Amino acid sequence: MLLQQIFNGLALGMGYALIAVGYSLVFGILRLVNFSHGSVYAFGAEIAMVFIVSMRLGIIPGILLSMLFTGILGILIDKAALEPLRKKGSPPIASLITTIGISNIVTNLLIIFLGSEKRNFPNFFGHSGIHLLGGTVSMTQIMMCVISVILMLILVFIVFRTKIGLAMRASQQNAKAARMMGIDVNFVIRFTFFLAGVSAALAGVLIAGYYEIVYPNMGFMAGLKAFSAAVLGGIGSLPGAILGGLIIGNAESMAVMFLGSTYRDSVAFIILILVLILRPNGLFGRKGITKV
Amino acid sequence: MKRNAMAVSMLLLAAMLFNAACSAGSGAGTTAAKNESGSQSAAENSGMDSAHPIKVAVAAPMTGDNSEYGIGFANAAKLMAKKWNENGGCLGREVQIVEYDDKNSSEEATTIAQKIVSEKDEIAGVIGHFSSGVCMTAAPIYEENHVIEISPSASHPDYSSIGDYIFRNNTVISKEGGASVDIAVNDLGKKKIGIISIMTDWGTNTSGIIKGILEGMKDKGVELVAHEEVMEGSDDYSAAIAKLNDAGAEAVICCGMYNLVAPVAKQYKRVNPDIAIIAFSNAYSTQLLELGGDAVNGVCFPVIFFADSEEQSIKDYVDAYTKAYGAAPSALSSQAYDSVGMLLTAIQNVGDTDSEKVKDELYKLDYHGVTGDTRFDKTGDVDKAFVKVTIKDGKFVKMD
Repeated sequence: MLLQQIFNGLALGMGYALIAVGYSLVFGILRLVNFSHGSVYAFGAEIAMVFIVSMRLGIIPGILLSMLFTGILGILIDKAALEPLRKKGSPPIASLITTIGISNIVTNLLIIFLGSEKRNFPNFFGHSGIHLLGGTVSMTQIMMCVISVILMLILVFIVFRTKIGLAMRASQQNAKAARMMGIDVNFVIRFTFFLAGVSAALAGVLIAGYYEIVYPNMGFMAGLKAFSAAVLGGIGSLPGAILGGLIIGNAESMAVMFLGSTYRDSVAFIILILVLILRPNGLFGRKGITKV
Repeated sequence: MKRNAMAVSMLLLAAMLFNAACSAGSGAGTTAAKNESGSQSAAENSGMDSAHPIKVAVAAPMTGDNSEYGIGFANAAKLMAKKWNENGGCLGREVQIVEYDDKNSSEEATTIAQKIVSEKDEIAGVIGHFSSGVCMTAAPIYEENHVIEISPSASHPDYSSIGDYIFRNNTVISKEGGASVDIAVNDLGKKKIGIISIMTDWGTNTSGIIKGILEGMKDKGVELVAHEEVMEGSDDYSAAIAKLNDAGAEAVICCGMYNLVAPVAKQYKRVNPDIAIIAFSNAYSTQLLELGGDAVNGVCFPVIFFADSEEQSIKDYVDAYTKAYGAAPSALSSQAYDSVGMLLTAIQNVGDTDSEKVKDELYKLDYHGVTGDTRFDKTGDVDKAFVKVTIKDGKFVKMD
């Protein structure tokens, strides 16, 4: 059973990791914890549901369209709510609180247009599984891991090997200097929100497909736990987000096994508090960053 | 300067939250408005007194996580009001349904209850609220102000004893729990029973009752092997399921709604395809079939309303509901339908909307509705016959 719980924990953790990547991307560039990310993730899954099930566009086009639309939602959020705050030079806390408000708006809009009920989401990879050392790993779990790793490699490539990635890193180090060098910082930020939205949509589709369930409020708890994962891994660091997600997922599985299901949800937040006390920069975080 | 910017951003945030609240509220508002105009035109046709309508409040979650239930209540209530209005109304006055959105939150419910009691001269009674915990925070306010509350869904044992004006058109969970255990032990012949329950007042209480019933069956060789409590809506139950499976459970009693039963069935059947899953009547909804797919085949539960019944009145009701709202009614919506019917019948019998007289009449009433023959006992509870239902090939069928 221990092994089975580890497999379950790894799949769960990959889900958190995929969401945590989005937190890290935005935090890396804006030093802003984007609490609307959970609802963006739910939006990605819901809109994929609309494309795949209601409009019958097929699985791959449906996922791609949902990634595109969710990316655009990310840009819209930045354009409508965060950019005006930056222009005014508002303190970081204002942007932080604004993202919480946006999260409410997105979730409630989803409820108004699609209803609050939980709906069935198609499973893409079937129920076949591989027996391994007495436990069962399902195809979906394996594919979740593979796709997450690919996504992370693509993101790392974009950030460290492309021109726009160079601009992102420059804006991150010193926005004012970057602007003087002719970098359109607002464009870079919008691009980052787009990337975060795309990764959130992919996370939403994979996790909804794994549990075969989708509903507007799915991002709330998942978002908070992914935030813990991002902090544990060192917020702003992409590999840290993945590792943090896996640790949180497994910690939850272990908590259920040794302490009982009742303690499951508190574990992620206990870890969050411990990390903030003992190692505020997380596992991979750089020292000396001023936190929000 | 900095303080200024802070103030501006705070204002912006407040405006946004207000916007969100408004947009959620206006959705419910427009449906209420539509409903009123619809019934008004009906009133003009039949020459009813629509200047002094009898208003029935439906207080339930119309937005948010549990909005499907509240909307179901409101739909069923409107259908019943339409039926009365087509027959000349209640006491010759038009019946109007007024919706209140409590978002299934106790805080909202308290505000709504206070609003309703402040307008109690106009409102004849309240159908709602949805979950037991919310009902129990609102009920003392109704009781104190002598407003009749009939909950179509509360099943917590303590709810109806809050007062004389507090009724429920749902079986108390201790009786339903007995029926669920009966299915597991006698109909399916399982001895090793596991429980998985949601961590709400209702879930914890229900699982406690089931434990007590199983305890009393020890001499028959029935054994409770494991009990796992899970957060409602956490979606991932695989860890709890691994524990139940490890303990050797042959049957699992799911204390939760369709949104627990369907994922548990799916995730459990990946580990153990032979597991028997037993639920409660609140899982009886077509959404269970949609969400659960093949995995919910074989899930059993007791219900007091069964849509595929042979009885003509139930058939007519299901047809009318399906025609109006595009889906068959759930058990809880049907209980809301009957609740409105009982309240209006009591008012008609008394010939007045005076809540004290109507309340006394409700205790005497013998109502034959779509959810069976209903008669309130002295605490305001009902006792109904259960139909055992299972799912076969993606359809609800009676158990043999």
